[in-house]
Amino acid sequence: MGFLDIDRVTKSFGAVKVLNETDISVEKGEFLVLVGPSGCGKSTLLNMIAGLESVTAGEIRIDGARMNDVRPAERNIAMVFQSYALYPNMTVRGNISFGMEMHKIPKAEREEKIAQVAELLQITNLLDRKPGQLSGGQRQRVAMGRALTRDPDVFLFDEPLSNLDAKLRVDMRTEIKKLHQKLGTTIVYVTHDQIEALTLSTRIAVMYAGDVQQIGTPQQIYDDPANMFVAGFMGSPAMNLLPATVARAEGGPAVRLDLAGGEAVTLPFPRATGLDAREGEAIVLGIRPEAMTDPEGADRDSGALHRVDLPVDVVEPAGSDTYVTVSLGGKDAIGRFRAHTAAESGARAPFVFDMEKAVAFDPDTERRIA
Amino acid sequence: MAAPTANAVTAGTGDPARTGGTRLSARLPRLVLYALLGAFCLYYLLPLYVMVVNSFKPLEEITSGGMMALPGSWTGAPWRTAWSEAQIGVQPTGLRPYFLNSLLMVVPAVTIATLLGALNGYVLTKWRFRGATVLFGLILFGCFIPFQIVLIPMARTLGFIGAAGTVRGLVFVHVVYGISFATLYFRNYYAAFPTELIRAAQIDGAGFFQIFFRILLPSSGPIAVVCVIWLFTNIWNDFLFGASFADYDSQPMTVALNNLVQSSTGVKEYNVHFAGAIMAALPTLLVYIVAGRFFVRGLMSGSVKG
Repeated sequence: MGFLDIDRVTKSFGAVKVLNETDISVEKGEFLVLVGPSGCGKSTLLNMIAGLESVTAGEIRIDGARMNDVRPAERNIAMVFQSYALYPNMTVRGNISFGMEMHKIPKAEREEKIAQVAELLQITNLLDRKPGQLSGGQRQRVAMGRALTRDPDVFLFDEPLSNLDAKLRVDMRTEIKKLHQKLGTTIVYVTHDQIEALTLSTRIAVMYAGDVQQIGTPQQIYDDPANMFVAGFMGSPAMNLLPATVARAEGGPAVRLDLAGGEAVTLPFPRATGLDAREGEAIVLGIRPEAMTDPEGADRDSGALHRVDLPVDVVEPAGSDTYVTVSLGGKDAIGRFRAHTAAESGARAPFVFDMEKAVAFDPDTERRIA
Repeated sequence: MAAPTANAVTAGTGDPARTGGTRLSARLPRLVLYALLGAFCLYYLLPLYVMVVNSFKPLEEITSGGMMALPGSWTGAPWRTAWSEAQIGVQPTGLRPYFLNSLLMVVPAVTIATLLGALNGYVLTKWRFRGATVLFGLILFGCFIPFQIVLIPMARTLGFIGAAGTVRGLVFVHVVYGISFATLYFRNYYAAFPTELIRAAQIDGAGFFQIFFRILLPSSGPIAVVCVIWLFTNIWNDFLFGASFADYDSQPMTVALNNLVQSSTGVKEYNVHFAGAIMAALPTLLVYIVAGRFFVRGLMSGSVKG
């Protein structure tokens, strides 16, 4: 049993099920990110933890206490909203103080707390301004300050960075991470941005269509996705998901990928020991762009590097990397090359496949099988 | 005709001075436009001019046929008479007590109706419940019920609650009628008000009324102005309810003015009537001048986003 327990929680609006018997257990001090495309139920789940939406079935517990029928104000949670939700008619000071006022905390104590939080977030000079006079990043800080005054058991963030411009978003991301390291509070954070999920979290729950697809550390989610949805959703550019056939080569398991023009390439696949019985059957090979790179960029510690010359379709320089597209198994596969690669579209280029990093999925169930 | 001439001259000279050396053909449309606008302006201001000018004349100057002329000898006597001396009903009290009645009616009625409308709008948008839309439709229906239809049932109701013939009763009637429009205004305004703010306040521990008074109402300035102007104008100018439900001592300004002007005995003191009519119109004019610049802004913010 964790600090925050989500126990077989279901939410339906009439006949529409938004969230299916979800189980998540969050330990104290953890930074859990709920990530998924819009409509996956992640915000609904967050609102249920906050008490802003009722629970249709199941139970939500914080520190062992059942929260289903407890009012939001009494759950000892704090929430930062996507739009920041600062009260437009109050100053920054009023905004931060409002929650404490509602909880009947004496004025002297409130002032002390405001000063402390303002110091922490470096907004002391903004205390007497109205939210309308603040920039996006400043509003974000005030919203966090308001949440911080409560010393909450659980911090809830609902896509707090999605209204900021790209550069500020990166800055604030770092700041949120620092804040978590400094305060050690339990955080549940909702986002649709997989980079945010990977950078911030100690654990990630990937959600889709009302179900949790996989829960794990960022590393687990990235390296060993439980199914094709997680594989495709996490990572940018996305993992290449290529139709392949189970084969044998060099006395071990392998996969065969069809190339354009009737050719095929067979790659030894040491991880696929469990797939012997499936020889000749179709699978989906999942391989990340960085595991499909130029010979100089390959990970030399890997025990399963295989070099193949492939005809290049498109070369896309992206500053720090160059993305090279080839056709594999009838699909476009993207390889991540170093910035100054010699690869040219129309010509053949050497690719090195790191088959230790490759995974395999069952094409019917879409689950990972190797 | 002193005033019209002066207006026409300024309208004509103002434009060429600004456009300077441009050709006449380019300036002509502007000139026509200003001339037309000036003409309309005069047309609309003419009645006010007649009222103001004649309210400061002795009666002989009016009866001798000089309606449009400026007063030969200025006098404030008609205003004094209308305010405190004219015979209205039994006593020569002037309009003063009735003006007070109107104020005692309009201020509580507008305040209560606006507050209730805001509360309705808050519940209808932020605490949605089954049937909220139907209920809103029914409340809106109130905007379209003609006053005449409710006269008899309302008279019975006022008698039943013991408020017949009192200012209190008039306040009640106007609040009942005002709620529909006030609810319409506030519902549309609050529909565009971010719900996340309400949720943030809930998490902060604010209750139903705390959210309403601390968060929502302070952010309702523009629409409150619209609502107040609308209700104030309607309630202040109402004649039917005042004539139907008020006693001599609770009659509003409009009814008293009618009694002043319509009295069938003695000489018709036009100058006093003009002064009284201006008095009756002044408060709504004042409200519009003070709050008017918020009026259009409030109307827009409600309609565009709602």
